[in-house]
Amino acid sequence: MRDTEQMAVTSHALRNKRKLPPCRAACPSDVNVQGYITLLQQGKFKEAVELIRKSMPFPAICGRVCFSPCQDACSRKNIDQPVGIRYLKRLAADIEREQGRIKPDSIPKTHSEKVAIVGAGPAGLSAAYELAKLGYPVTIFERMHEPGGMMRYGIPDYRLQKYVVANEIAYIQDLGVEIKTGVEFGKDVQLDTLRNKGYKAIFIANGAQLSIKLGIPGEDLEGVFPAIEFLRHVSLGKTVDVGEKVAVIGGGNSAIDAARTSLRLGAREVTILYRRSRKEMPALPHEIAATEKEGIRLHFLVAPTRIIAEGDRVKLIECLRMKLGEPDESGRRRPVPIQGTEHTYEVDTVIPAIGQLAETSCLPSILLDERARAISVDPLTLETSSLGVFAGGDVVTGPASIIEAIGAGKRAAVSIDRYLNGKDLRSGREEEIEETTWVKDWKMIKKKPERYAAPNIDIGRQRVSFEKAAELLVKIKELAMSEARRCLECGPCSECLEGDGLCEVDKAIVDETLCTGCNVCAVVCPSGAIKKNESGVAQVDEYLCKGCGTCSASCPERAIAMRRLTNAQIVIQALTALGGGFA
Amino acid sequence: MYEPKIIGFICNWSLPTEVDTTSTGRVHGYPKIRIVRVMCVGRIDPAIVPEIFAKGADGVLVIGCHPPDCHYIDGNLQAERKIKVLKKLISLTGIEPERLRLDWVYASEIERFAKIIDDFRNQIKVLGSSPLAGERSDTNILLNLNAARAAAEDFRLRVLVGREMELTEKENIYGEKISQEEFDALLHEIVETEFIRHKIHLLAKEKPMSVKEIAAITNLNPALVLRHVVNMRRSGMITLDRVEKTTPLYKALEVH
Repeated sequence: MRDTEQMAVTSHALRNKRKLPPCRAACPSDVNVQGYITLLQQGKFKEAVELIRKSMPFPAICGRVCFSPCQDACSRKNIDQPVGIRYLKRLAADIEREQGRIKPDSIPKTHSEKVAIVGAGPAGLSAAYELAKLGYPVTIFERMHEPGGMMRYGIPDYRLQKYVVANEIAYIQDLGVEIKTGVEFGKDVQLDTLRNKGYKAIFIANGAQLSIKLGIPGEDLEGVFPAIEFLRHVSLGKTVDVGEKVAVIGGGNSAIDAARTSLRLGAREVTILYRRSRKEMPALPHEIAATEKEGIRLHFLVAPTRIIAEGDRVKLIECLRMKLGEPDESGRRRPVPIQGTEHTYEVDTVIPAIGQLAETSCLPSILLDERARAISVDPLTLETSSLGVFAGGDVVTGPASIIEAIGAGKRAAVSIDRYLNGKDLRSGREEEIEETTWVKDWKMIKKKPERYAAPNIDIGRQRVSFEKAAELLVKIKELAMSEARRCLECGPCSECLEGDGLCEVDKAIVDETLCTGCNVCAVVCPSGAIKKNESGVAQVDEYLCKGCGTCSASCPERAIAMRRLTNAQIVIQALTALGGGFA
Repeated sequence: MYEPKIIGFICNWSLPTEVDTTSTGRVHGYPKIRIVRVMCVGRIDPAIVPEIFAKGADGVLVIGCHPPDCHYIDGNLQAERKIKVLKKLISLTGIEPERLRLDWVYASEIERFAKIIDDFRNQIKVLGSSPLAGERSDTNILLNLNAARAAAEDFRLRVLVGREMELTEKENIYGEKISQEEFDALLHEIVETEFIRHKIHLLAKEKPMSVKEIAAITNLNPALVLRHVVNMRRSGMITLDRVEKTTPLYKALEVH
């Protein structure tokens, strides 16, 4: 007991230091990217998905719509192209789903304290997932009829299919999480009612689903659909008549989603009006490219000034030309209107998509920040000003990404677990992440073929024969494995296989009395883990050593041993095998 | 029917996913091979292989990832260099070098894996069982294998093998590189020298011996043996024990 207390104190004093590969360091949700890519190299698709699930429950969803900061950080970009991490994740998750996901066992409830979560979006669901894994009884309250939040109602089907979302949520439900849909927070349940019902901790993650108003005349006319409402309507399967000509206002992902959805609803001419230039567009580059490929026009440096009706319905949208001025607080150049450049576009539908706000009217005002636009929390622990109430995701940060919401959910789960056990919420949680790669010189690494094209298909949904499907699957798997092999494993040992008995982490140890400092180990070490110290003796960097043992096999003085698999053990294994009944 | 005893060293990352191994190294569905799984084939210390042959293995198969892929960047190429030297050493011992084989497999290539095992097994069947298998242990070959093992543990040889890539692929400050042919010729010579010297050393360890005796046992030209003995005295491997009549006898010194 004493020791653990001592440790808690020391780790509070020292910030938690972790050395990670760039991909994992970039992930807001701490997914072991290098680890699952390593498993994919071997064709271990199921194991890879399981490894992803250790850090988050949505491999297939993130494989489709994550903005993949891991891929942007990938070291391979210094040589040719980053590894196609997102597509590999998607493929692994799809193969698992199409081949029939194994239903996980419900986790026994080892804790009696009930936890309530408001909002079944990525933040709420991932918090529920983590808490369920710890053995807490968790109930999620969701306003809509289906769980998923923006993943279900905000992202159109062509990017993220509903069955994919349903499958990954079903996994969380299989673990024993209860989701109550059609329950609106602030109306059907309140903080007090939840507390009275015996919920010991509450996590609020109701997102940011209010469209920001344009603030121009004509905004309430028929034919003006804020993007979030528009996408929700379409997701609910309601018919939306967009007419022939659609103007989408904004440059983010919602704007792109709304524009591409309009096209799919039968619009003939879709235009995106954006007040800055292409460079400042916050939408994902591949989404912008897809938009243009589909024939959607992008007009830059224009901002609407009013919407003009004919009868009840919109007819024209009047815009002003803009020019770029000084950079604002977001670092992007501020658009400045050029007077006298009014011009109009003929439209049947206008879809404003200029951002979202948290719906704070349903929340107790004590939780909110001064401007009442978001819940204010401790950024490390996600505690609110009310004891036992935590909040995270878009309702705190404003509209962000799925992976950031997942990260918030995970952090909240840790806090709630500590809170319910009466532990300190902060100790040892501040992390200092150090990006670590062994590669000193990118030029020394050989180029590989360009990224293997992502076969963009769901095998189970193609109309092909069984033989053809099996053949396709083999081909796709092979492509994926070749792509995974482009990974340099530039980070420290990712411990991907530890725990399943396939690989115990092995490390080299130097016998300093034998080392002559000949430097052969440093030359052969593929991970740059060995260096000589001041006295000329080889030293192994524990983090970087991946336990391959090449140094041990090459050391001229045989001064390096492996901690687990020594030379003697290899010989013993071989001899045991020799004696082992060759009949 | 004769079934060769084959030890397979297989890297953790190229062992096909479908292959089940047990703690005894048996592979389900492949009764002809016993497997030792290592993290990387670069892990195979050259000194291990002569030892395993000395214990009667009929064949040693080393399987790693296809170059240029390797979980450890170039561990497989490091292994290739070690196996090259080993083959040379093994061929000096009287064991056929074909009993040692290095090959590449991806974890996805179960069929290739099976084919390599079958091919190797058939090759070993043609060669017959090892001269050290069972009762008919050939003492000369055993001595040779011990010499090969000592050579594989030798500092000089290991430095050279460990630095091969560095020497042949990187330029020195004058922009010169050692060509692969040049390097191989050098290595060839050193392997042979080290093997003979370690054999002499082992012989002299048993009892003090004269150059003539050594030449007779090793079937070498006495002049060549003398040259080695002179060099070995200088490098502290052997020393003069006594002079019998006019013939000097040499004994081995402890080398670490």
